[in-house]
Amino acid sequence: MNPTYLPKSWLAQQVNRFAPALFFIGLVLLWELVCSVGEVPNYILPSPSAIFSAFFDVEMSRWLTHLWATLRVALMGFALSIAIAIPLSIGMMRSELMNRVLYPALIVIQSTPVVAVAPLIIVLLGTDDPSRVLITCLITFFPLVVSTTTGMLETPPEMIELSQSLRAPRYRETWQIRIPYAIPHIFSGLRVSITLAIIGAVVAEFVAAEEGLGYFIQFSTSFFKIPQAFAGLIFLSIISLLMFKSIQWIQMWLFPWSLPKKK
Amino acid sequence: MKAIIKSSLRLSLLAGLISSTSAMAADKVTFQLDWLPGGDKAPVYVGVQQGFFAEEDLEVKIASGRGSTDALTKMATGQSDIGTSDVGALMAAKAQSDVPVTAVFSYFTQAPHAFFTLESSGITSIKDLKGKKVATSPFTSSNAFLPLVLKQNGLSEDDIKLVKSDPGALAPMMITGNTDAIIAWVTNTALYEAQAGGAGKTLIEMPWSESGLSLYSSSLLASERFLEERPEVAKRFIKAFAKAVEFTYANPDQAGADLHKMVPEVDANIVSAQIKSIYNLVYNEITEADGFGQFSPDRIQTTWKYVAEANGLSEEAIDPATAINTTFQPE
Repeated sequence: MNPTYLPKSWLAQQVNRFAPALFFIGLVLLWELVCSVGEVPNYILPSPSAIFSAFFDVEMSRWLTHLWATLRVALMGFALSIAIAIPLSIGMMRSELMNRVLYPALIVIQSTPVVAVAPLIIVLLGTDDPSRVLITCLITFFPLVVSTTTGMLETPPEMIELSQSLRAPRYRETWQIRIPYAIPHIFSGLRVSITLAIIGAVVAEFVAAEEGLGYFIQFSTSFFKIPQAFAGLIFLSIISLLMFKSIQWIQMWLFPWSLPKKK
Repeated sequence: MKAIIKSSLRLSLLAGLISSTSAMAADKVTFQLDWLPGGDKAPVYVGVQQGFFAEEDLEVKIASGRGSTDALTKMATGQSDIGTSDVGALMAAKAQSDVPVTAVFSYFTQAPHAFFTLESSGITSIKDLKGKKVATSPFTSSNAFLPLVLKQNGLSEDDIKLVKSDPGALAPMMITGNTDAIIAWVTNTALYEAQAGGAGKTLIEMPWSESGLSLYSSSLLASERFLEERPEVAKRFIKAFAKAVEFTYANPDQAGADLHKMVPEVDANIVSAQIKSIYNLVYNEITEADGFGQFSPDRIQTTWKYVAEANGLSEEAIDPATAINTTFQPE
């Protein structure tokens, strides 16, 4: 869009301002219309109104239980992957040998479909939180390692030379020069990872769980309650969006200087 | 010296506390379902809600499963102590590796596999399926028995067009005319009838048990380690479970309410309808002849014969009687 474009009338300004919301509302209305005019049965494509009423068929306390279960696993897996990925990237950045040894292994782990490995992890670690957290961690840590390493390697060489000429110890070089330079990269990695963390939690719940939104969706489909499954799906996308936004807020709050400058 | 006495005193006090609490606590048992909670899985929930397990001083934790083999794996690895799964799947697993799981109590004495079709399709018997499109789900145990039931009705697999699809999509596919018939368990009858009724159609059910395929199916299985280490607990559990099964099928509405109470997502009415529709799998002429919960040696042999044929295994691979142990049943 041309940034200098400014609509004249008040109405046109408002439409312009709320364009994303209006587009979304229009989409939902169209969906509802297709379902009611085409008489599409609920088990094929539930109408937005059926999904909306399905929200209230389930008690609020149950929704909260499922939401919390998924969120808990996603956040624990995410935290674990941060705890592994950042030190690992520092190690790989510092040691060329470690980089050569670990990188192929990481790629192998990343390219193995976690959905296929999940049942094996459950057999090994049991049906409780540890296996679900590990599954989530496996899905989320690769983007983090890649973005952190890239960020640290992109530090301007003159900065490194300067710190070396001042005989700065290596830990200061890492903490005071490389990591700050990597912050924008780390945060873009974190944004990708957090949405993957929700996917990881759901994959784990599909394989073994007694609660959580993934379990709830599978459960609803097994009873052919498709509107209810869609309602669960909407909750999932809401938490994904909220998590994604939270990462941005954290970045704005802690590292405002790392954000691209507004024109 | 004083300090040593003091700390050893404290230690023994602590040990005493721990042992007294464990003596007072009920025995913990982890129960494994082979699928998500539903009508056919109601007895264990009924046992908890009606206090049958508490009467036997048992504390039962229920874990849901994702299919027969998943449930077997969890019992074999000791993540669960006891649970329901297909005895045929157990025999097939035992024939291929020494799975430390044993069947202890029969539950479905008839197999739940069936064809479903709509009245409008003009199909009235299995023979009519010739040249028709039939949909099934990819991982159901029914698929293994399909060639047998077709053979018994003078058909072969080449006579039908078999497609595989997600279990949740089967009934909608049939109702929208994407397939002529589907393969599913009769535990779904109540749900399918409601869906077909919603579209103004009438459902026809053709159970395989009525067309020659008569065998044991879902049974109570237990991890062999659990049976060895805690035989008394196992006996008490089976006694309470048997009571719960009887209560469930005598009071389907109460069973629905009990399951709903523990799993609020489940609709109590659907559960009670499911229980009513599968009554014949649990109580039938076989149960009457052999006794509730029993396995007759002949029928075990027949079940194994079908399972071996269906899975392409040699009939000599195992003695099916080794998969069964009824000594833990109440006298």
